[in-house]
Amino acid sequence: MYVKAIPEKCCGCLFCETVCSLWHWNVINKYKSGIRVHKKSVIEDIPSVCSHGNLCNFECIEACKFDAMKKKNGTVYVDYKNCTGCRACEKACPLNAVWIHEKKAYKCDLCGGDPQCVKFCSQNALVMEV
Amino acid sequence: MFCYGGNILKVDLTTGEGIKKPLDEKVALRYLGGDGFGAYFMNKIVNPKVDAFSPDNALIIAPGLFVGSGVPTGGKTAFFSKSALNGGWNESVMGGQIGLALKQAGYDVLIIEGKSDKLSYLLIDDNNVLIKSAEHLQGNTTRETAEKIKKDEGDFIVASIGIAGENLVRFASIDCEERQAGRGGMGAVMGSKNLKAIAVRGNNDIKIAKPDKMYRLIEKYYEIMINHPSFNDDGKYGTGEFLEWMNNERGTFPTRNWREGVFDGRKEIDPYYWAPRYAIKNKGCLQCTKPCGKAFVMKEFKGAIDGIEYETLFSLGSNCGIEKVEYVAKANEICDLYGIDTISAGGVVGFAMDLYENGVIGKDDLGLEIKFGDGEALLEILKKIAYRDGIGDILANGVRIASQKIGKGAEKYAVHVRGMEPPAYDVRGIKGMALAFMSSPRGACHLRSGAYALELTGKFWKYEGVDRLSSENKGKEIADMENFMAVYDALGVCKFSRGIFLLNFDEMLEASIGKKMGEDELLFIGERICNLKHIFNIKAGWKKEDCKLPDKIHIPIPEGVSKGSYVSREEEEKMLLDYFNARGWDKNGIPTRKKLEELGIKEFIE
Ligand code: SF4
Ligand code: SF4
Ligand code: SF4
Repeated sequence: MYVKAIPEKCCGCLFCETVCSLWHWNVINKYKSGIRVHKKSVIEDIPSVCSHGNLCNFECIEACKFDAMKKKNGTVYVDYKNCTGCRACEKACPLNAVWIHEKKAYKCDLCGGDPQCVKFCSQNALVMEV
Repeated sequence: MFCYGGNILKVDLTTGEGIKKPLDEKVALRYLGGDGFGAYFMNKIVNPKVDAFSPDNALIIAPGLFVGSGVPTGGKTAFFSKSALNGGWNESVMGGQIGLALKQAGYDVLIIEGKSDKLSYLLIDDNNVLIKSAEHLQGNTTRETAEKIKKDEGDFIVASIGIAGENLVRFASIDCEERQAGRGGMGAVMGSKNLKAIAVRGNNDIKIAKPDKMYRLIEKYYEIMINHPSFNDDGKYGTGEFLEWMNNERGTFPTRNWREGVFDGRKEIDPYYWAPRYAIKNKGCLQCTKPCGKAFVMKEFKGAIDGIEYETLFSLGSNCGIEKVEYVAKANEICDLYGIDTISAGGVVGFAMDLYENGVIGKDDLGLEIKFGDGEALLEILKKIAYRDGIGDILANGVRIASQKIGKGAEKYAVHVRGMEPPAYDVRGIKGMALAFMSSPRGACHLRSGAYALELTGKFWKYEGVDRLSSENKGKEIADMENFMAVYDALGVCKFSRGIFLLNFDEMLEASIGKKMGEDELLFIGERICNLKHIFNIKAGWKKEDCKLPDKIHIPIPEGVSKGSYVSREEEEKMLLDYFNARGWDKNGIPTRKKLEELGIKEFIE
């Protein structure tokens, strides 16, 4: 299960970032969101979000020397008590789907099975793939 | 303080000094954010008498209260300065991401004063504030500038000017992520400061007073918005969706420099024609859940375009008699890249075309023929304006100053109110909007009152049965609507959501900042903000006589369903006095002491 982004539909509103950070951390902070949208050109708004092994080979887990990237029921998540913010995962991820903010890694954890970004994307640019 | 950055940052480009001060909580609650902070700090900081291009003028940027709150469509940021078109109050609201970056950096207000000795950009990374050389960016488009700065600096949000701002074109705009602060020459003020761009990154949390409540409100309004009829219409056709209706059912779509109120050549500039052919997806402002923007690709022109809004379909379309949307798109693109306000740009080119067709100026003055409908001429003149080349140097001042320089009776073709070229509402058939053009603090403007929908449909909010062709009882209506809209601009909420939210923000305010405010309280703040803007204007030399409508508005509409309608000079005077009265101002438009005491802003006139 993972959130698949369809950049051709993304309007660049960043609502996904907003709800993701609010839902997980009770604050608004785009760097704490598990999804980030970058504008590459006028027509290219590119959401980056973790594929939980579906479009990658769990490079982040492989790269982490501190046992902070973990997998449970097909979901890759950060174990915050172990994460040192060393950036190994950030560098390793082929999808640019994990980033470091204030010495901690942030990435998608699928919101316990009810992805908020999918729920609030008005353009259907994010879909659940099973 | 919840939902605020908590600080004010003041940067002096002359000395290179930056000062950070905490935001006074009392000021926050009295003025909310965005427009309210602009009204407060412009009055506190800027000497209203200085020239717009003086280093003593300031450029102020303030995100709306709801920026970074999650409130759907609450992502707007406002820019303030003295107007390059009339020397009075100017503000421009945009949906770019710079406000969120500023808030995350800890700032609710950014004040930029002084003038850099060479072309520079301002870099704000939380507490680190740097002024860096932008000499390598000189002459770059808004987009190139942003791209290069991001490449050099990283994940920053960039607001930039193009060549027009550098050349002090009096209607130059500021671009941020393809969203523009267009009106009143904010980009020229930036250019006068030798400031090419502002790049901001903020890393901090924006704290939400009641996150669970906020989440439930987001859920509620998200549902309402995506099920609203405008979601589909705007989604498919953008803001120009009602062009045909405006033209046919109301006859108030200004055409060929305000000669007509219907455009016979509109077929291909109507989004129902071009959106299905060229649009590839929607584009939204920050935090929007019902985007009205469009991105499209045309094989005729290289690259992709973000636009074209309703106002632009008028200004660069009907107002110049342009029938091919490809030319409107290209002109829109030139405006965005060179950093020019599309509304004024089309106003100015339409004016020049009118002068040419009436023999006031000839091919010798212009260097080319410019007849209505000539798309190539439109593109050529826009470039000349941006580079201040030949006739472009005169036109770059806006129609008011240009008509004075040209003389020979050009004034009667100059369509403006207080120096600002008007947007796409032929107010001869929308009389309340004629008043709104006069009363707006920045010159001819549809957004300070947002009363066009009310006037055109006859009902909105507490108003019903409003007659657009009558000049009776417009004073209170426009004053009320201005107060209403000032609340939207202070909160940073998109005006296209006004039918959904009205002034029901108490729950959202409780969830975001932890304090409920009902309609009456908000309207009172809105009134306070409107009065403060007016006080600034009076100090800057505003006179009632300056609020005159252009000559063309006194000539009846020749065709269409509004045929024969116009605003007489008597109606003009009557509506203005009615408005002053509704505002509690005297017959010269000066606020009474009593009114200012009531609003708690007496200190600003002492
Ligand atoms: S919410 Fe959807 S449309 Fe908006 S930025 Fe995210 S992916 Fe794109
Ligand atoms: S963070 Fe990157 S590498 Fe790790 S599982 Fe997700 S997509 Fe794969
Ligand atoms: S409705 Fe349009 S103008 Fe309003 S916030 Fe959304 S995209 Fe921006």
